[in-house]
Amino acid sequence: MKRLNLSYEKKKGLYGYGFIALWFIGALMFFIVPLIQSFYYSFHNVTPETGYLAITPLVDNKTGQTNIFLNYKNAFMTDPNFRQYLVESLQDMALNLPIIVVFSLFVAIVINQKFRGRTFARAVFFLPVIIATGPVYAIITGDLETGGNNSAEQFSTMFEADMVDQLLEFIGIYGFGDKFTEMLTTVTSDILNLVWKCGIQIIVFLSALQGIPASAKEAAAIEGATSWEFFWKITLPYISPMILVNIVYTVIDAFTDPTNQVMERLLSVQSEWKYGYSAAMAWSYFGIILVALGIIFWIMNKLVWYDD
Amino acid sequence: MADTTVKKNAVADFLAKHKAEKPPKEPKMSRKEKRERFKKRMECLTPEEQRYLKRKQAIEAVWPIFRGIIVFGLCFIILYPLLFMVSAAFRPRADMNDPTIMWIPKTFTLSNIKDAIRAMDFWKTLGNTMVLNIGCSLVQVITCAITGYGFARYNFKGKNILFFVVIMMILVPPQIILIPQYMFFRYFNPLGIFHAITGNYINFINSPVPMYLPALTANGLRAGLFIFLFRQSFRGLPKELEDAAALDGCSPLTTFVRVMIPNAGSTFLTVFLFSIVWYWNDYYVSTSFFTENKTIALMLKNLDGNLTRIIFGNDASSVNVRELIVWMESGCLISILPILILYICLQKNFTEGIARSGLTGM
Repeated sequence: MKRLNLSYEKKKGLYGYGFIALWFIGALMFFIVPLIQSFYYSFHNVTPETGYLAITPLVDNKTGQTNIFLNYKNAFMTDPNFRQYLVESLQDMALNLPIIVVFSLFVAIVINQKFRGRTFARAVFFLPVIIATGPVYAIITGDLETGGNNSAEQFSTMFEADMVDQLLEFIGIYGFGDKFTEMLTTVTSDILNLVWKCGIQIIVFLSALQGIPASAKEAAAIEGATSWEFFWKITLPYISPMILVNIVYTVIDAFTDPTNQVMERLLSVQSEWKYGYSAAMAWSYFGIILVALGIIFWIMNKLVWYDD
Repeated sequence: MADTTVKKNAVADFLAKHKAEKPPKEPKMSRKEKRERFKKRMECLTPEEQRYLKRKQAIEAVWPIFRGIIVFGLCFIILYPLLFMVSAAFRPRADMNDPTIMWIPKTFTLSNIKDAIRAMDFWKTLGNTMVLNIGCSLVQVITCAITGYGFARYNFKGKNILFFVVIMMILVPPQIILIPQYMFFRYFNPLGIFHAITGNYINFINSPVPMYLPALTANGLRAGLFIFLFRQSFRGLPKELEDAAALDGCSPLTTFVRVMIPNAGSTFLTVFLFSIVWYWNDYYVSTSFFTENKTIALMLKNLDGNLTRIIFGNDASSVNVRELIVWMESGCLISILPILILYICLQKNFTEGIARSGLTGM
């Protein structure tokens, strides 16, 4: 029997295929083919029948001609809510993204310091990740509101108009507070949501902070850097790759969240059996997010500093 | 004998001598003296250094207090819903309308919990969820580890494209591919043979297959992320391990099982724990595949209707919205309790695992 003469490297390559074979079969069945199918659906009229989906070409009612982009056209032109939801969810994302990243960085820096009860604080900050992904979170926030025990409201009243305004009036500035307090209130009233969304980001920043080499800290201390300077000149460059990671994570997390408006609209369309239409919506949403991520990645990649 | 006594004496002498030589203890300084001393020290320094030291002193004095307030406040905000949950779950329904009761109910009652257990069919649901959950997670951890290892340690043609598919698995929301997946399991027809022979399809909806089969092929819930984590952690191991094992006559599979797995233990635990949590909390994917199967997340989602049907005898008007809270919160409490206990016991593995298992090594 003649043995196959393969080099060590080639053999290793074959073993590599062996290791990923199982995943590849699964990905073909449960990911790649469904992905292509749903892309195909988005250009067609799809109605469920027993045993299969009936796929017919899209016909424009006005002109009587086939138009494969009709689903997309309907989603953006005719649908009463889709465009509005799309814009709103993008706006939300744009507003929340910097807040979440800055907030989780701040929390990570605080709980990276040594103080009593640090382990407990870390455990608490990560707790939402365990609970918040499920239906529990919806019930909790709903109940707090109907129960009138909304912590967010209580918390925001602490900072609300009066205090800041009175302070400013005391100094002698009148009427300044309105816009500012409004902004402050939107942030503070959302603080429960905010804190509950930051678990993973805090942990990622925490591990990045612990990865800052001791030599850099020492050098900064010898040069007499204040903690302010230390933050801008040492901490920020070292953790900048993780800022990018956290931004990408936050965007994906917000975008795949089944409770966001666009996703809810999508589900309601799906439950009306308009599969082609819902696929078109999903794909246009996905496309927009991909473009947004691409832009963020492109900008951030220039600002990120790698320690090579 | 004599020798040792001499030595002992010598040691004692030595100690006594040095004790005497020790500088006299500094008299305790009063606050005023301390301040003066500080002032004297400051005078030897340049104004710039003085300013730096003063600022540092001030920050060091104020910051811990400030930090304490922040940490306490944020912890309180996070724990607030949970505290409210515990408080509401054990109070009689009438207490919800009593404005004098904020946290501690006047009487404790277990009846809400009992009702919630009945409405959710809790013990059966719990058993179901545990079997599905632990089964899927175990299978998924193993398959994702194998895949991650393949991506981390071998070079083959098309690796980059295939890894791009893994990244896409993280990015693409399940909503996009759910309908084709549903059709796949509803009218299961392997290679078109089954339908050709019997004229029928296999219906896997409401069976655990739509959960197990993707997990078995490393395509379950968030499998992309897990493959990624495994790849990162296997990439961090030294290359010599593999070569040494190969020289000792290990086949790649034996190398993986006997050399690599023991070295990536912490990643295995982290991925397993997260897999359990995500399967536990998932209701989006399971609602589309299960209409009858009882899992904790599904039952909690339907708790509202089930309460009306089972506890209030189809009469939704017998209970107002505020009073309903006590049952809903009881349901939440018993649903998250198992996962909460798991978290409290293995808290370090959750947080440190994410930190260590390679996210940082991008």
